[in-house]
Amino acid sequence: MDNLKEELKKHIIEQLNLEDVRVEDIADSDLLFDQSGLGLDSIDALELIVLLEKFYGIQVTKPEEGKEAFRSIETMAQYIRKRKTAV
Amino acid sequence: MSFITTYCHITDRNCYLNGKLVASFDPGSSDSWLKQLYKFNNVTYPKFYKMDTLSQCGYLASEFIKASNPDRFTSYADDRIAMVFANRCSSAESDIRFQNSYEVLQTPSPAMFVYTLPNIVIGEIAIANKWYGENMFAVLPKFAPDFFINYAEILFSSGSEAVLAGWLDVTEVKVNAFVILLEKNTGGIKSNIVNLTELIEEAFT
Amino acid sequence: MGIRITGIGIVSAIGMSAEENLLSLKAGKSGIGPVRYLDEPRELLVGEVKASNEELIRSLQISNRNISRTSLLGLAAARQAWGTTRHRSDLKSGIISSTSVGGMDRSEVFYREYLDEGKPDYRLLLSHDSGNTTERIASELGITGYINTLSTACSSGVNAIMLGARLLQQGKLDRVLVGGTDALTRFTIGGFRSLMIYDDAWCRPFDESRTGLNLGEGAGFLLLESEKSIAQSGNETLCYVNGWANAADAYHQTASSPDGKGATMAIQKAINMSGIGLSDISYVNAHGTGTKNNDLSESVALKNVFGENIPAFSSTKPYTGHTLAAAGAIESIFSVMAIRNNLIYPNLNFSNPIEETGLMPVTSLITDRQVNAVLSNSFGFGGNNSSIIFSNFN
Repeated sequence: MDNLKEELKKHIIEQLNLEDVRVEDIADSDLLFDQSGLGLDSIDALELIVLLEKFYGIQVTKPEEGKEAFRSIETMAQYIRKRKTAV
Repeated sequence: MSFITTYCHITDRNCYLNGKLVASFDPGSSDSWLKQLYKFNNVTYPKFYKMDTLSQCGYLASEFIKASNPDRFTSYADDRIAMVFANRCSSAESDIRFQNSYEVLQTPSPAMFVYTLPNIVIGEIAIANKWYGENMFAVLPKFAPDFFINYAEILFSSGSEAVLAGWLDVTEVKVNAFVILLEKNTGGIKSNIVNLTELIEEAFT
Repeated sequence: MGIRITGIGIVSAIGMSAEENLLSLKAGKSGIGPVRYLDEPRELLVGEVKASNEELIRSLQISNRNISRTSLLGLAAARQAWGTTRHRSDLKSGIISSTSVGGMDRSEVFYREYLDEGKPDYRLLLSHDSGNTTERIASELGITGYINTLSTACSSGVNAIMLGARLLQQGKLDRVLVGGTDALTRFTIGGFRSLMIYDDAWCRPFDESRTGLNLGEGAGFLLLESEKSIAQSGNETLCYVNGWANAADAYHQTASSPDGKGATMAIQKAINMSGIGLSDISYVNAHGTGTKNNDLSESVALKNVFGENIPAFSSTKPYTGHTLAAAGAIESIFSVMAIRNNLIYPNLNFSNPIEETGLMPVTSLITDRQVNAVLSNSFGFGGNNSSIIFSNFN
């Protein structure tokens, strides 16, 4: 099990008040912003940016940058690892 | 001629529809009162959890009114259903939460900022129902029946056919929401200041 | 039948009166610059009113100094609009003021004092309430009849005018002061920054490179009067309000819909009500905040309504910054002044049209054209969209 991904799911559920969703409901490849996935919206995207800064110290200054990174848990984890090693 | 065809009153512990008790707070539940009401209504709308208490309460009242007669709104064009809400303290509770997020936590929360405007509750109901009618939010010292009746008259005279109106005095610790549906030519309680005052007095005492 | 406007008043980043504002508009002089008055450590571009609270209190000669900046700005503009009109007991008077931040400027001072565990001044909180903002203005002006505070985000100012016009139309009031006021606060700056729609450079409405807005502050008020009231006051009719409409966008809490549905409906219905033909609209004072989302959605809406024949349009927010609840009122007064002076204002900071829509705003002052009718748009969070039409004919 990938700890980072599990941790991310937990943070997302908490930060975005997804009360009906449990960690095991989110697959790593689910499209977060698609109705088939979590159906998140643009405000959620901004909260994800806050989340990255709060828990991982990563600053996203352009919202467009977040778009690609936030496709799925998979891409978010990749993005975090990339930014972390780049520092 | 317009009529008050449905009214919903949500207090700290009870929810009444047309004066009849439909749900009461369950102290044994771990859910908040508004969450209990959400579940009671049996409508799945996950966005509910993201709303602030003001929006949650307005949304719930609108859902109870819809549930009382599911066909009620289908006869109106989506831009003929207007909304006018008011309360005493605007979005004060969300204002405080947002202020806390930037002064104390140092991370201003966009999701909280969104709710620092009182009219977002109307936006939420409009989004949930795809209603495009006129809408207005006023901040008044207390429930003023004349404001709602006069404003509804204005709305009816300019094309609206149904008006969802109400008083939303809502904080996390105190809930007092009174929402009415006004319709034209349907029959019911005549919409005038005397009748609305009576309904309110009955509800608020 | 149009509703008569007989008084106007503005304070904004580009001037302390309607005349000063007009001079800046003509000169293409923006009032946006680095923070000077607000206690805000960051280097931000804002449209501040160039006066401290102290200076405002002095010039307005206010004795009860426990007053928010929002009320001070509002009072300054409201007094100008009210002018020398005399109160009369046989005329029903009212004031409808809108605000989105209310006395937040002073609550911030309180909150910091409170956090610092000093002795906060609890009296500061008395002015927090949005309703208090209006009540202070009303009491300083001696208006005691109908007093109402509206709060529908950035469309508030226009909604106040709409409501006032309707109350006159229905004979419920004879004269009413309508408008909006909002002071700049750390609260709103922090909020818009958290939504990542605050531009650290100059805002560039309708430009392909736009990335957000600059916040401003200010107030705008208009005096609307019935003929009965004018017979008593002798005030000159400056212009008419001919049409208005409000529609929900029903799309998102803060974002505008990509198809501009709510905006399209508001514009369309306001024009229909005015009875003015599409080709007779001389100028559109756009909402044009400079955010990616608003300007695209508004452009789509303009195309939906006007097709290929979009009137000359511009956003005046690069002059004043986005003044939130005051914006609709300030821009309505700009519209009135456009008609009175046959002017079409330039959209500052524009270089390239938005790729998707290709619309070109006016980029330099137009002075050689008759301006008879103006459409002004104000779209607010919550999907609250309002449009209003002014003209020089009844």
